[in-house]
Amino acid sequence: MELTKNITLGVYLPGETSIHRLDPRTKIIAAAILITLLLFIKSYQPYGLFMLFTIAVIIASGIPISYALCGLKPMLPVLVLMWFFQLFLYSAPEAEVIVSWWIFSATDAGLHMGNLITLRVFFLFTIITILTLTTSIVSLTDGLESLLKPLRMIGIPSQELVMTMIIALRFVLILAEELDKIIKAQMARGVAFDRGNFIQKTRNLFPVFLPLFINAFKRAEELIVAMEARSYTGGKGRTKMKTLHMGRVDRSAGVVIMLFTGLIVYIILSVNPQI
Amino acid sequence: MNPLIEVIDLTYSYQAGSDDEFRALKGVFLQVWPGEMLAITGQNGSGKSTLARHFNGLLTPQSGSVLVEGLSIADKKNTAAIRKLVGMVFQNPDNQLVSSIVEEDIAFGPENLGLPPAEIRKRVDWALDTLNLQHLRKVSPSGLSEGQKQLVAIAGVLAMKPKCIILDEPTAHLDPRGKREVLENIMRLNREEGITIILLTHFMNEVVHCDQMVVMEQGEIKLRGTPYAVFRQKEIILELGLDLPIAAQLATGLRQKGFKIPEDIIHTEELVDCLCQLK
Repeated sequence: MELTKNITLGVYLPGETSIHRLDPRTKIIAAAILITLLLFIKSYQPYGLFMLFTIAVIIASGIPISYALCGLKPMLPVLVLMWFFQLFLYSAPEAEVIVSWWIFSATDAGLHMGNLITLRVFFLFTIITILTLTTSIVSLTDGLESLLKPLRMIGIPSQELVMTMIIALRFVLILAEELDKIIKAQMARGVAFDRGNFIQKTRNLFPVFLPLFINAFKRAEELIVAMEARSYTGGKGRTKMKTLHMGRVDRSAGVVIMLFTGLIVYIILSVNPQI
Repeated sequence: MNPLIEVIDLTYSYQAGSDDEFRALKGVFLQVWPGEMLAITGQNGSGKSTLARHFNGLLTPQSGSVLVEGLSIADKKNTAAIRKLVGMVFQNPDNQLVSSIVEEDIAFGPENLGLPPAEIRKRVDWALDTLNLQHLRKVSPSGLSEGQKQLVAIAGVLAMKPKCIILDEPTAHLDPRGKREVLENIMRLNREEGITIILLTHFMNEVVHCDQMVVMEQGEIKLRGTPYAVFRQKEIILELGLDLPIAAQLATGLRQKGFKIPEDIIHTEELVDCLCQLK
């Protein structure tokens, strides 16, 4: 059970490409625009374009495509399950039945819906992976902090919330490593994770998650003390080593995103003119 | 000269007032002088971490007082100023690094001080230079060795330009090479940058490099003095559950076998010199 190898979400691959050099705010807004676009795509043609665009971004950022996608492996069962759910449970009034078994029947509308939803989640995941692979956690914080700053005026502690989120993201890898270690330790002590029925298997997870949670709390406590010792008292009065400023790369990226959005919207409208 | 840190009759109990009250410190007096390298040693649970956490206001005295450059730690108004003067490095580097980029983690402390960006950049560069970490500036700490991670943690404290750095068992998690690297760098910070070092450790081979040492047991300071003076009291050291440095153990053994080895050997180099002069 090598869990850590497959987790690319929250990992940062340093680099010097123009994607890396983009202002984090540009990247966050671009990701938000792309994710919003995903919600409106209801046919395959725009997805084709979306796929090309995503591949182009991955290539431009110098990340090996296989690496970017291997993070998807743990997600695969969920994607497949979702696809099946949509396939069998989605019903439309004039749908044509393709396969029918017992009380379940798969319709073409269900198939279409299954494909769309699976693709949507797939791309959602890919976009977020690209964002975190090319943006250091601290730039992400800086970007989010700067974007969420207006919320401070209505009393939301945006800086502290962002800090919490970012630390959670940093500990994903550390906790995954730890989970791996605990599983091996418990296997060495005779817990058979692959044997028994569903209930026994579920019960086997307790000796894994209990130590994991206890350790996570211990880590959290140590981290708090260490942060406090380094004069952290919350967002107030903090300055930044790196000041954000948008440059030429960001302007070009903005233009690219706008063109791409326009194109996708055009395709959506021309394929489904009724929307 | 005034002491940098002055501890006067300090007591501290965990779960004070309850049935499981644990008296971690029972009336400790201590002075830490500017520029010295002080080792605090003792078994687990002897109170050394509890004591050290009073030096930068992570804990506040239940009775007695702690003064850092004359500022009382009990006064919350002083906390920010004291944390700027006294930095602290902990045992597990993974649980004290905040960022996934070395230089950005080092900037975390100065950023908390609210310094202007150019000044933060200058300090980060200086900290990286001082600890020879320039080549690691852009990498993620998760790819580093434990020793390197600990050096990054030290750099993060160094960038705040403290007068004193407390290191709470900084080498406990490290392999021999990491231990040596961290110790050498700590010694260099003390000698070349004049930073006061308070080193909490179990390892007697680290203690011998310090100017002064304190041995704690059950919340009290049992021995203090230069390592030479303290390690002369062999029986008491062993009684307190600690060891002599390797060189001292070996010297004692050889002396018992009839070799003419002088007393007061704690450094390996001293022992080597003596052995080479034997006929």
